[in-house]
Amino acid sequence: MKKIFLLFLVTFALSSCEKDDICDASTSTTPRLVIEFYDNLIATPTLKNLTNMKAVANGMSDGIVFNNSLAITNPLRFVTNSSKIYLPLDPSTNISTYALTNNFGSSTANEDVVTFNYTKNKVYVSRACGYKYLFNLTNTNTNILLADTNNWIKNILLVKPNLETENEVHIKIYF
Amino acid sequence: MKFTLKYIFSLCFLLCSLLVTSQKTEVKDTTAIKKDSIKPKTERYGLRLGIDLFKVARTFYDKNYKGLELVGDFKFTRKHYLATEIGNENKTVADDQLNFTTKGTYFKVGFDYNSYENWLGMHNMVYVGMRYGVSSFSQTLNSYSIYYANNYFPKPIVTSGEKFDGLSAQWIEVIAGVKAEIFTNLYIGFSIRMNNLISNKAPENFDNLYIPGFNRTYGGNFGAGFNYSISYFVPLYKTVLKTKVKAKK
Repeated sequence: MKKIFLLFLVTFALSSCEKDDICDASTSTTPRLVIEFYDNLIATPTLKNLTNMKAVANGMSDGIVFNNSLAITNPLRFVTNSSKIYLPLDPSTNISTYALTNNFGSSTANEDVVTFNYTKNKVYVSRACGYKYLFNLTNTNTNILLADTNNWIKNILLVKPNLETENEVHIKIYF
Repeated sequence: MKFTLKYIFSLCFLLCSLLVTSQKTEVKDTTAIKKDSIKPKTERYGLRLGIDLFKVARTFYDKNYKGLELVGDFKFTRKHYLATEIGNENKTVADDQLNFTTKGTYFKVGFDYNSYENWLGMHNMVYVGMRYGVSSFSQTLNSYSIYYANNYFPKPIVTSGEKFDGLSAQWIEVIAGVKAEIFTNLYIGFSIRMNNLISNKAPENFDNLYIPGFNRTYGGNFGAGFNYSISYFVPLYKTVLKTKVKAKK
């Protein structure tokens, strides 16, 4: 009989082993919008680096973090000098508006507003990750950029409206 | 996790084998020589019926669980039992990313092989066995949250209520367990089970994360479970045992 109680103990050991799932970082989950920047003055497509570009979504106080390694108080954390950026789309609504400011912090700072409209499709991933959204942009090339008196963005091309992964380019911006 | 379970399972196997060696008793047939004064030995055969106590208890203390399992076995040779479990479960799983409810019925049938040498008329068991299990169930996705590796926007938790009907699964179980008589004809038993899915009809855009009778799934075909039963032995008929003396003649 005592040995049966031993088996009981095993039972309780068994029942305590449940939550051990963490969504693996390598899993393909909700993709961000991938934008590449090109030089508007060269006929053949040539990537062009931004200069301290800051991206802030409408209604958010902070910008997108581009330099995760920098301290939270460092303003350079929120600017990029790359030719490629990743912008998350708001999963709670069907519209995300970003203010993209090139040359942020300098006297030549220029803010352009871009608006992305999209539909969402939920796709099951796994127990640990749950569901992801795959967005489908409903914009056209011409209605993304809000025209102002001095746009630094010259042209926008919608390359791939359906966002599936982050290993693809969805939008090309010429400036 | 998988390895932990496998480890525990083999540990139990080991424990069971210890039981066998420590409690092994030999039926002495010296008395058989005095044939006239002694009644012939008989072996009782019958049906043992019971319920899984753990599922009943859990129904009371776990608000996310309702379950009932009826167990039965029928001794058809001295060592072999035909065994079955039939049950119904209603379980809500509240994970970080998903909240869902699985409801369904299952049926398991197979055999147990008793390795324990009983005294005459007793039906204690230290056994291994196998089952074929089949389950029919539905899943309701109560709510889910959208996984976004990026933390810029708050992640919405979406209330769904989407129901997936007509799901099913089949699997094979390998069992090790014990059953002991605590009062006349009343037995308690414990078994642990390793399950392997052989078919699994999962819903579109969701998965069978819990299968009634099979329990939690781990992405592959592996699963594990246990039961803790209380059952009553209903004797149906007796057979006269052939003694070894008779056999020699």
